[in-house]
Amino acid sequence: MAGKPARPANAIDQTRRMLSLVTYLRERPGARIEDVARAFGITEDELVSDLDVLPMCGTSFRGGDLLDIDTDGERIWWHNPAALGADAAEPLRLAADEATALLVAARAVATLPGLRESDRQALLRATAKVEAAAGEAAGASSRLSVTFESEGGVFADVDRAISERRRLWIRYYSPARDEVTEREIDPIRLVSVGHTYVEAWCRRSEARRTFRLDRVAEIRILDEPSAPPEIELRDLSEGLVQPAAEDPEVVVEVGPGGRWVAEYYPHDQAEELPDGGLRITLRTPDPASLRRLALRLGRDGRIVAPQDLADSARDAAREALLAYDGLPDGDEGLHGGHGGLRGGLQEAPSGAREERQGDPGGHSPSAVHHDLHTVQDGPYGGRREQRL
Amino acid sequence: MAIAKAERLMNLALCLLGTRRPLSKRELRDSIEAYHDAFGPGNRASSASGDGPSGNDDSFNRMFERDKDDLRELGLVIETVENLDGEVGYLARRDNNRLPPITLDAEEAAALGLAAKVWQQARLAGAASGALHKLRAAGLPEDVDPYEAHGALEPRIPVHEAAFEPLMLACRDRRPVVFNYRKATAARPEPRTVEPWALECWRGHWYLAGFDRDRGAERVFRLSRITGRVRNRTGSFTAEVPDVVTVRETVASWAGENADRSALIRLRTGAGYPLRAKASSVRELGDGWDELEIPYGHGLDAWLVEFGPDVVVLEPAELRADVVDRLRAVAKG
Repeated sequence: MAGKPARPANAIDQTRRMLSLVTYLRERPGARIEDVARAFGITEDELVSDLDVLPMCGTSFRGGDLLDIDTDGERIWWHNPAALGADAAEPLRLAADEATALLVAARAVATLPGLRESDRQALLRATAKVEAAAGEAAGASSRLSVTFESEGGVFADVDRAISERRRLWIRYYSPARDEVTEREIDPIRLVSVGHTYVEAWCRRSEARRTFRLDRVAEIRILDEPSAPPEIELRDLSEGLVQPAAEDPEVVVEVGPGGRWVAEYYPHDQAEELPDGGLRITLRTPDPASLRRLALRLGRDGRIVAPQDLADSARDAAREALLAYDGLPDGDEGLHGGHGGLRGGLQEAPSGAREERQGDPGGHSPSAVHHDLHTVQDGPYGGRREQRL
Repeated sequence: MAIAKAERLMNLALCLLGTRRPLSKRELRDSIEAYHDAFGPGNRASSASGDGPSGNDDSFNRMFERDKDDLRELGLVIETVENLDGEVGYLARRDNNRLPPITLDAEEAAALGLAAKVWQQARLAGAASGALHKLRAAGLPEDVDPYEAHGALEPRIPVHEAAFEPLMLACRDRRPVVFNYRKATAARPEPRTVEPWALECWRGHWYLAGFDRDRGAERVFRLSRITGRVRNRTGSFTAEVPDVVTVRETVASWAGENADRSALIRLRTGAGYPLRAKASSVRELGDGWDELEIPYGHGLDAWLVEFGPDVVVLEPAELRADVVDRLRAVAKG
């Protein structure tokens, strides 16, 4: 499984861990290093570095009350557990941040549509117990919340297929090509990062692929056993997708209303332009898939390079306009002051919140985000694997 | 070599937890090697005598205050008590610091094990592990693989926004903040003074809800549009914090998901699967086109334009006008 995100050694984290370690070791004379490291979710090296510090700690360096804790490299021995006094090694109450971190995460996971009912119940029971034990410290946890998006039915089928080790048949929508294709996949794991994805071995392309659950149009669990090859799973902390250096470059210039492009597309560079816009340089294995972006931007931006991408967007727009010339009411509706209508729309009250205007708006944030990569038939083999 | 901070904090914690009477700063300075080494003994008269290194005392005092704050971040409740001589003493009473009894079964332990791995933000990842360690010390069942119990599920909470941590602390401590915010269509950021209420992550992006002092009203901000540092303001909140703060509903409405109208479009056969998935009705026209009724919310025009010549808007007229307007802008090349 992917490891926990690498973090620099932090004195506060180490102190809090050592305080718990003292309580834990006191109950377990001769505990094995291997077991203790696993119980604390740390490496044996991290544990050994804690064991180097603990003998320097105590209630007074002059009084000789230092903790006499040592290890033979396999087991840990504490020779003077009375040094801290009878009640000085009891488990400590949770800090506000600790309660928040655990409770917010547990509540978020519990709301995942499609989660097994027994898992959801376990999360809810654990959440209630931790809330009770945390007392006041749990209060601030309501100030943070996280929602994971998932398609419950698809999630449940994928989850079942993984646990029963069975192959799946899916019909999957690719926004870049606006098409639905059929494929058989051997599911490996479910990953929720805002949206939920299934990472799988795709039998059609013989490569690792990531599929977003809300783009699965249809799913069936097959009788065939799932047989994904042994592949190393990656750390997800840097995000699901990252373009490769050898992908073709695309340059997009946007006005202030198109700045969202920089938030939704991984890019190499975003230069500020004098009008408050951006010149964004990004890479994608399939520039044609960005035609959608060019069309969506409208007057808020344009493709600068490559030229054939800019041309194809322009041609598509011209072709689309033909349909309106031929339809009744075609232009009348347009002359009738549509500017006023647009203005009306943009000023629409709805709480008059900040970002309404110029946001990528409906459907796009999700639609746009992974068009570049998830959708392609190639990106997840080999070279891009370092980032999933 | 200077003694590591973790060792110093650990000693301070053990001294404060182990004592039954308040310990003065002087006693702590004498008892803890890291202080003693760096600043010398805590001479009772040092502040009065001319040769006492008062600069040293100041440095010690600053470090001691910081260390105490760090321990409080870990959840330690440290009391400050003044004795009859007016000397201030400190202690962390066991009764105030003991975790109440908590018994978790193996399933619940697996659930918390999973939850503790979810954060991808250093401070909260550290805090979640810390919570699990405390529960582990209190007897949380071991040898439970959360992934085994949860069908290879890996939820992750991404935090890429630099403004997250200062805003999280400001929400926690109910402190007003000021930051520069660039509205979606604005060329330049402008300063906003906000009483932060709550943070919410939706579809992988973080949002802040709070009271905007300049606007005199509730506002929702997207963290990725905050530029530069988030600075704390002195003083407390002036507006009442609502019992329930809803962020997602507001953001969902920006995303057009509260559509209360519908639109009629023609869609080329085989194209636009997501439009079909959202449609309330689909009618085959038989000439290579279908007619769909779909929800009409904010941003629908931009989305429909993405499908280029595969979509034709029939109704309403304003949506048609918006789509044609956008297409014309692109057609001009």
